[in-house]
Amino acid sequence: MEKIYRTEEVETVALNKLNLDVKEGEFVAVMGPSGCGKSTLLNILGLLDEPDSGSFLFNGIEVAKYNERKRADLRKRNIGFVFQSFNLIDELTVFENVELPLIYLGVTAADRKTRVEDVLDKMQIMHRRNHYPQQLSGGQQQRVAVARAVVNKPKLILADEPTGNLDSSNGNEVMQLLTDLNEQGTTIIMVTHSEHDARYSHRIVRMLDGQTVLENIMV
Amino acid sequence: MFRNYFKIAVRNLLRHKGFSFINISGLAVGMASAVLIILWILSEVHYDDFHEKKARIYQVWNKATFSGKLQCWNTTPKVLAKYVQQDVPEIEQATRAEWPNNYLLTYLEKRLKSQGNIVDSNFLQVFSFPLLQGNPKSVLMDMHSMVVTETLAKKLFGDDNPVGKIVKLDNKENFTVTGVLKDIPTNTRFKFEFLLPWSYLRRNGNDDEYWGNNSVSNFVLLKENATIDAANNKIKKIKVRYDKTEDPSWEMFLYPMSRWRLYGNFTNGVEEGGRITFVQLFGIIAAFILLIACINFMNLSTARSEKRAREVGIRKVVGARKGALVVQFIGESILLSLIAGVIALLLVQVSLPGFNSLTDKKLSIPYGSWEFWLASLAFVLLTGLVAGSYPAFFLSSFRPVKVLKGTIKTTNAFITPRKVLVVLQFTFAIILIICTIIVKQQIDYARDRETGYNKNNLVYHFLDGDLDKNYQLVKTELLSSGIATSVTKTSAPLTQGWSDSWGFQWEGKDPNDKTDFDRFCSDEGLAKTAGLQFVAGRDFNLQQFPTDSTGIIINESAAKVMNFKDPLGQIVKDNGIDWHIVGVIKDFILQSPFYPTKPMVIEGSKGFFNCIHIKLNEARSTADNLAKAEAIFKKYNPEFPFIYKFVDEEYAKKFDNEKRTATLAALFAALTIFISCLGLFGLAAYMAENRVKEIGIRKVLGASVGGITTLPSKDFLKLVIVSILIASPIAWWAMYKWLQDYPYRVEIRWWVFVAAGLTSILIAIGTVSYQSVRAAIANPVKNLRSE
Repeated sequence: MEKIYRTEEVETVALNKLNLDVKEGEFVAVMGPSGCGKSTLLNILGLLDEPDSGSFLFNGIEVAKYNERKRADLRKRNIGFVFQSFNLIDELTVFENVELPLIYLGVTAADRKTRVEDVLDKMQIMHRRNHYPQQLSGGQQQRVAVARAVVNKPKLILADEPTGNLDSSNGNEVMQLLTDLNEQGTTIIMVTHSEHDARYSHRIVRMLDGQTVLENIMV
Repeated sequence: MFRNYFKIAVRNLLRHKGFSFINISGLAVGMASAVLIILWILSEVHYDDFHEKKARIYQVWNKATFSGKLQCWNTTPKVLAKYVQQDVPEIEQATRAEWPNNYLLTYLEKRLKSQGNIVDSNFLQVFSFPLLQGNPKSVLMDMHSMVVTETLAKKLFGDDNPVGKIVKLDNKENFTVTGVLKDIPTNTRFKFEFLLPWSYLRRNGNDDEYWGNNSVSNFVLLKENATIDAANNKIKKIKVRYDKTEDPSWEMFLYPMSRWRLYGNFTNGVEEGGRITFVQLFGIIAAFILLIACINFMNLSTARSEKRAREVGIRKVVGARKGALVVQFIGESILLSLIAGVIALLLVQVSLPGFNSLTDKKLSIPYGSWEFWLASLAFVLLTGLVAGSYPAFFLSSFRPVKVLKGTIKTTNAFITPRKVLVVLQFTFAIILIICTIIVKQQIDYARDRETGYNKNNLVYHFLDGDLDKNYQLVKTELLSSGIATSVTKTSAPLTQGWSDSWGFQWEGKDPNDKTDFDRFCSDEGLAKTAGLQFVAGRDFNLQQFPTDSTGIIINESAAKVMNFKDPLGQIVKDNGIDWHIVGVIKDFILQSPFYPTKPMVIEGSKGFFNCIHIKLNEARSTADNLAKAEAIFKKYNPEFPFIYKFVDEEYAKKFDNEKRTATLAALFAALTIFISCLGLFGLAAYMAENRVKEIGIRKVLGASVGGITTLPSKDFLKLVIVSILIASPIAWWAMYKWLQDYPYRVEIRWWVFVAAGLTSILIAIGTVSYQSVRAAIANPVKNLRSE
């Protein structure tokens, strides 16, 4: 696929006829220097953005030309996101932040309660359920973000530098969480600058100037 | 989902208290203003709405040509009712009402003055003034029957049953109370506390069959299946059919009750609105004030969009559709509007007494009416929708990819919706400032106009009871005691025209000339009492010139119309009397100070009299003069209370309508400015916050506090200047149109626009500069570090 950003004066090729195939259950790390197109790729894979040309098959279905409504529907049922800056809503408590995707899925209140408490338990953050994000440490906030990403049991988790704002101890914990999720069958695609984090994956895809230049299979 | 929206909305309100305060207070003030105006509009629109037969009630109007102009008016001959009933089969009933009058009512030891109306006995069958006691068909059948309102009954009889009680009228004749009316509502054209039967007027010799005496109101009730066109066709020529002396083009027509209050202005025979113009204008003002409050919400919501952008991104990432976000943000604005609505209701309740006195109404909030609560809910929802829709679509259109990266930045485009909205707010405020200044100028202009007489220390008293009989004794005692320097009997107060006629005849008059003259009467000494100035001849002097009883004094305008070379000694015929002119006075203002004085004749002591004018002795204290005058009046008219009026105070009342317009314009201008400035204050705060890094860098590079302070002010100043440019021509046009109603009017001067512009600039700079100074004096190191 191809993605070009245009302004009045400059044209930037973010993805240059990029070709990538990710199998169900894989854990793929995407690496490369700043501006190589990693985040653009992640946004397109997460149906937050669309390619200018090319094809994007998700679960065997062509989704490149989906409109916003269809993309939102597909996204909320199949994809979870974890961001470097956590992106929790400050006005909502831990419980309410994690509950949010279930609300948009139309899950009943009783079911939501069970599922949110279950996932908070797994993430060992249950004791903080009524706290607001700003009352938590960075590591705890990222646990909440991961909890929110997995609460609707997505097929795919997209993580954009999930440990970028964390110290090494908290970072390792988050990576272990992602690994556990992958072992339970969730496909994970993670953008990272960290070789250390990338080693948690099955395969490292290296990008340069909008193309994949190298792939390392981890043993 | 809605619980989640509600939670986040409440938490947002509490977290951003300043923003919430500005939005809620602005919306509350805007909503309260709109509600007050809506209550006023409703009272106007539903005027006289309580009459069950309203759709079938009409008043008979005249349409005739005077001086080449087709004129319409609603006073008609007393004889008309009999003939419309007889000649127009479409009419079920015809009924008449005299002008209301003040009478002295006496019951045992109680005496009070009260306003009564003489009406036909079927009056209460046509109009729906509910009777608490008595039968509408029979209560006014007897010549000495009387129907009183419950308040008057309470005043006269306390808790006793009023029916059957005997009340003495004007200390002359006894009337028996036959019915009790529920107090008449304020929103009706009829103003009375009691009704008397027409048979009483007839017995007194005041009924007549003269088609030229247009002096009462004739109303008709059409039959249920009758058409107005058929009735109008038959009534059109009724006057000329019976009055062969009348111009054959004279017509009569039926004017529906539904149009009495809001319409009724005719120009050259064509209905051209009336109070409806005010109703429409007030409606527009209400909508604009509310819109301005909504604009604050829109501007502040979009200005702080960066704060909400991340939330929008996150919600979209986890699966929210745009529609869900629109619902969320509109829901937030409806919640805010609901809180503002509750505060607005309190504000309305608190301000209603003041607003009522300003508008001369008795408005109230109908708490018991479910329609009111339903309308209020709709009003809150509408306000929430108007205020919230633009921010909702604006915020929900953010793309998560951008907002989560933090790349959403406010635009610096030449024209942005936010700038347009600020310009709209200030345009409206400046228009109102200009209008306020010009209306005030117009009042001052008319007030400063030479009245043509001396109002100071001049009082009048109606010639009631025995005063007419004892007039000479009262006058002599007032003069001899030194209380008064001059006393004159007149037909009406000097501030009111009670009689006019186009029937005066003089030698050389064009037979087609129907110039309308004010008719006034005075016994003698009016020039001295009122300080009138003669340009020829002299005042009446019955001692020296007994024939002055049929003398007349004319004003300069009348002299021009009559076109005499030498008016003195000329004969003018009126009511069968040959009056001879003894003097010509300078014009003086009898009626509206905004209109040219009409031609006027003052007839001598053969005329009719209703008032005594007293020029109090200026060398003595007014209080003492009045106390002594009261004693003299009591001596010669013991049964009647001493109720006097100062001519200067009565004259000042001629400006009440315009003063009310000016006060309302000033009030609306102040409210608009207040709401706009609240919004501007909030916007300035957000802009200062957004430019904190720029200001820090400028300071590090050497910019002065003064230089930085002017930075945000300059941006807003440009918007206010654009507003001045848009508002000035609109305000000029509106005021030009308004002034056309006044033959005596001010010129619209350029400096008014400059003054209004400078005022708005000063207010805007004052509002913005607090935030600018705060931003400018902040420590740049701290700001840059925080970035």
